[in-house]
Amino acid sequence: MVQDLVGPTDPELSCDECFELLDAYVELELAGADAAAEMPLMRAHLRGCSACRDDHDSLVALLRADPQDLP
Amino acid sequence: MGVVRLAAQSDVLSAIVAAVLALVGEPRLAGTMTTDSPGTGVAAGLAGSPDTVSQAWVARLGCPGAERDAAAAELHDVLLRVARFEIRRRQAAFPNLSGADLDDLAWQSADDALMSILRRLGDFRGHSRFTTWACKFAIVEAGAKVRRHAWRGREIPLAPALWPILADQAPGPHQYAEARDLLEALREEVERLTARQRQVFVAIALSEVPIDVLADRLGTTRGALYKTLHDARHNLKAGLAARGWAAPESGGDWDHAR
Repeated sequence: MVQDLVGPTDPELSCDECFELLDAYVELELAGADAAAEMPLMRAHLRGCSACRDDHDSLVALLRADPQDLP
Repeated sequence: MGVVRLAAQSDVLSAIVAAVLALVGEPRLAGTMTTDSPGTGVAAGLAGSPDTVSQAWVARLGCPGAERDAAAAELHDVLLRVARFEIRRRQAAFPNLSGADLDDLAWQSADDALMSILRRLGDFRGHSRFTTWACKFAIVEAGAKVRRHAWRGREIPLAPALWPILADQAPGPHQYAEARDLLEALREEVERLTARQRQVFVAIALSEVPIDVLADRLGTTRGALYKTLHDARHNLKAGLAARGWAAPESGGDWDHAR
């Protein structure tokens, strides 16, 4: 609970840096690579920033979706 | 209405492309695709082989004339579908908005995403597929617009009124006592923050106000606010550590070294 409030203890990216790397990070994840291990600063930021985490989750969901399901 | 919108779309796209090119200059947009390895371990293996589809997107969007307009129109169609997908995922946040309102939001998101993509086409390095790179702009635009609409007219809580609720979430008596002590220490450390850090921490971390919503209200940027939040959290962790609390190595919560 408090850990969620005070955020990651590891060094992390900024929101802007997270945006720059988001597409590469998500493609790594979906390719089955250990993206969090390769990009630990990104992982730390996604733990600490709910808005960037939402964007990450949405991009993952989009790329996993069947193209036929896109409105 | 659909025909009118299609005609309007073509005009709007042409205007968007013209406006963006006037801002950035065409030479920057031409031939900027690179298949270089990222070199930092980022996306290694993904950018190693030439991605002809991505190269084609960049080439078409970077060349002058009708081909660029056609590519921009195709890309806008993709971005609109992505924005609708994102807004549909978050539709629970919109109990009072009609379908037409939501579709307008999707159009605004796609328009803004296309503007950003054309302005920043030279930044694409091929670390992912072009469509993945482009879709993230639509996702972020739609997500931010959803959050702003969901919080439109709502008051931003800037005073810490949630401490008792947090303590009550502890599962048992021992954990409750531990959580109460930890929260009390944290509450005291929050009072030691600067006024700005306390305001940002309370709104974002305690009250779960979306960071871009708070940035709008305070007249700043998401990045600047996250820096303030990061500094506040750094001070809080240092304060807790000075009181004998230890950060968890993996999972769990802070523990007191007795």
